[in-house]
Amino acid sequence: MYAQNGSAFMADEDLLTMILDDLKRTVREYTTAATESNCQTVRRVFNDLTMDTLRIQGDLFNQMSQMGFYQTPDKALRQAVDKQIQSAQQTQAKCQQFVQQKTGGAGNYTQAANVPLHQANVHSQNSYYM
Amino acid sequence: MQSTQMQALSGKELEYISDSISNEDLLIKQLAATAGTTQNSTVHQICVQQIQSHSHHMSTLIQLLQQHQQYAPTQPQ
Repeated sequence: MYAQNGSAFMADEDLLTMILDDLKRTVREYTTAATESNCQTVRRVFNDLTMDTLRIQGDLFNQMSQMGFYQTPDKALRQAVDKQIQSAQQTQAKCQQFVQQKTGGAGNYTQAANVPLHQANVHSQNSYYM
Repeated sequence: MQSTQMQALSGKELEYISDSISNEDLLIKQLAATAGTTQNSTVHQICVQQIQSHSHHMSTLIQLLQQHQQYAPTQPQ
């Protein structure tokens, strides 16, 4: 479909960017739907669709990038990376200290032997997690 | 691990499935419009491939509705 002056309705770059944005939104919605599903079958389908839409979004992004349709952001400076590493290590140390205080030395994020395994989110037909 | 047990959809699940079908529909139409407009064969090929993926998603969502159809109560509970 072409406009009367012969030019395309919109540039390929703009059309693909709109599709890429909609794919991002769709991934978010599938993720939300998965976390709010009660029925295991529904949850599994939303999980699968989340993963497949992420793959599709990644493929489109790579192809747009190769065609020069996508401007990648500027690279983060070494100074900024160093600062974040330092900050993250401090956060990690404080977090480990907190865990040790609360669990009596069971830090380092290991699963203590007497802690039961994480239960599935769906227990019975009547339980809702919404 | 619990065995998979089919049950009635909640109202919220039904809304998410419905919204997801609308999203897939919009994506397919956008891809088809782009495929019909572009003069770039690579872009055309990408769109055609993606249309197949999203059509598959839409079929999966419709199947999900059909699988739960018989479990839906006919009266409010």
